[in-house]
Amino acid sequence: MVESVRPADFAAYWAAVDDELARYPAAPEIEELPRHSTGFSTVYALKLTSIGPYRIFGYYCVPRGEGPFPGLLYTPRYGSVNHVPSYEDRERYAVLQIMHRGQRLADQPFAAAYPGLLTHNIDDPGRYIYRGIVADCVRGLEFLLSRPEVDRQRIGVVGDDLALLVAARRPAVTAVQASNLLLYRLLEAAERTDEYPVEEINDYLRAYPERREAVARALAYVDPLHHAPDIRATTLLCVGDPGALGGTEWLAPLRAALGGPVEEYRLTHEGGVDRDWLDAWLARRLGAEPRPLMWEIGGEGQRGRAFRHDLQHT
Amino acid sequence: MQRRRGPADQYGTSTVRPPDFDQFWAEVMAQASEIPLYPSLEHVPMRSTEQVDVYEIGYDSLDGLRIAGWYCVPKESYIPPPYPGLLIVPGYISEPTLPKSWARLGYAAVGVAPRGKLRSNRHFNPGYPGLLVHNIVDRHTYAYRGFYIDACRAVDFLLSRPEVDHSRIGVHGSSQGGALTVVTAALRADVIACGAAGAPFLCGFLDAIELTHSYPYEEISEYLRRHPEREPLVRETLMYFDVINFAPMVRCPMLVYIGLADDVCPPETGYALYHVLSCPKELLAYPRCAHDAGSYWAMPKVKAFLAEHLEPAGLPG
Repeated sequence: MVESVRPADFAAYWAAVDDELARYPAAPEIEELPRHSTGFSTVYALKLTSIGPYRIFGYYCVPRGEGPFPGLLYTPRYGSVNHVPSYEDRERYAVLQIMHRGQRLADQPFAAAYPGLLTHNIDDPGRYIYRGIVADCVRGLEFLLSRPEVDRQRIGVVGDDLALLVAARRPAVTAVQASNLLLYRLLEAAERTDEYPVEEINDYLRAYPERREAVARALAYVDPLHHAPDIRATTLLCVGDPGALGGTEWLAPLRAALGGPVEEYRLTHEGGVDRDWLDAWLARRLGAEPRPLMWEIGGEGQRGRAFRHDLQHT
Repeated sequence: MQRRRGPADQYGTSTVRPPDFDQFWAEVMAQASEIPLYPSLEHVPMRSTEQVDVYEIGYDSLDGLRIAGWYCVPKESYIPPPYPGLLIVPGYISEPTLPKSWARLGYAAVGVAPRGKLRSNRHFNPGYPGLLVHNIVDRHTYAYRGFYIDACRAVDFLLSRPEVDHSRIGVHGSSQGGALTVVTAALRADVIACGAAGAPFLCGFLDAIELTHSYPYEEISEYLRRHPEREPLVRETLMYFDVINFAPMVRCPMLVYIGLADDVCPPETGYALYHVLSCPKELLAYPRCAHDAGSYWAMPKVKAFLAEHLEPAGLPG
């Protein structure tokens, strides 16, 4: 049985976030980063205003040549740093990696603590940090949709729960790929692990047991389970081992609640295999060429990585 | 012409060990040894449990920097001391681990935040990207000179603790943590009893950038694209920080695990490191695995390896 309950004012809560986003112009600042740009892609530092108001950061990369290009948003990982997008993505997509409030390059005036971010103001849905973080990611998608070089018919979002929430909040998304969910049924997950970052919840509830109801309420607003009916994009859920957090049974309520087409990919734990499969899936949805990194090396049955720009020795 | 990649285990890196490599690091270690550690502990009740006490720690390191970390130790009521010490070293972009689950297994475990990481970046913050190329033309000020020492001094922190058995201290990490595992085992060969290194980073730097364009190595490629004339200086500097050159100094048993489809830390460089380790060693190479380095299968073996050598008293799992 799923413990998370959709709050009665769920729609109003998120409508207020949308209103706040609409109130603040994004005021984008775009500046090329020659250090990261290559012959096939230009990389920009991007600054945007999100709710608060708060200034967030992103790496925005545009392939050189004639557009429009499929747009791809990477939502931030749970941690202070997000990399510049990969060569393989920069070649095919107008790709944006957002840094939400508190992460490096978006850590003034608020610097996120790890551990700590997951429970920041978690006793108050109106001040819970993920209200703003979700808005930051939505703002990133809005930026992509505003760009003339981006094909609005081919928009992908990749990430964890945040990718699902963005797709729910903005129906323009074509395809969403979600893995390593953190916010999904989080209170239940916390009862099954002591690994961070989920353990942050256990730490908090040990310190403030009387706030359990408030925590449950705040988390319900950001649980993808309750956003799932609003998602129209084709959704790929990455599924872990049976019986584990992230396994088929664990994700079944989410899958059942999704409002659009849904597919599952059973992770193999072989990162090279999983990476190539997921890359190809997204490329097919967005009308791009897959960029497999796997190749046979040495003709001796071993497998390793090949790279877009193979070893060049003259 | 284009060169196909051959078998990863037969790849030879261009790494050369400078004649004064040992002297260079002996001088750095001597300089560090003159700095009092001034260890501090602050109990963190919120993150402590019935089984494990959690502390925020700090200690002084090179260049006057204060280094932060987490220290997790079993409660005496759960497991009585002494405890084996375990140093957990972080990846390049990851936050330092709060090693509570290791403490539950019976280790007195430190998760260290070397300079530039959150909580250790007040006076040194080259950023990500940035750290890997910070002063990369000068071995005397290159970021990793202090970064390596910060990790080593976490061993001194463990040695300062009366509940830690000084004869049972191990080190473990993956990616940059894999590199730091080897470096710490090399520079503190007098103390470290075993090490488990996953997907070791910082091995064969200038070979790695020909084998991958993934970050963080891509930082070096970007730097050299903009400053190609500095390549000789960069090469010279990096030879002093190449983990392959630390390998011969390691004396304790080492477990190394790599993914043969790793685009972040190319398997060729992992093999190159493994080949020059002259200590008791074991390699786990996982086909089709990427920067995860087969952790799904490797981690149970890592836990068994550490337990075999460090003999924690906690329950498995």
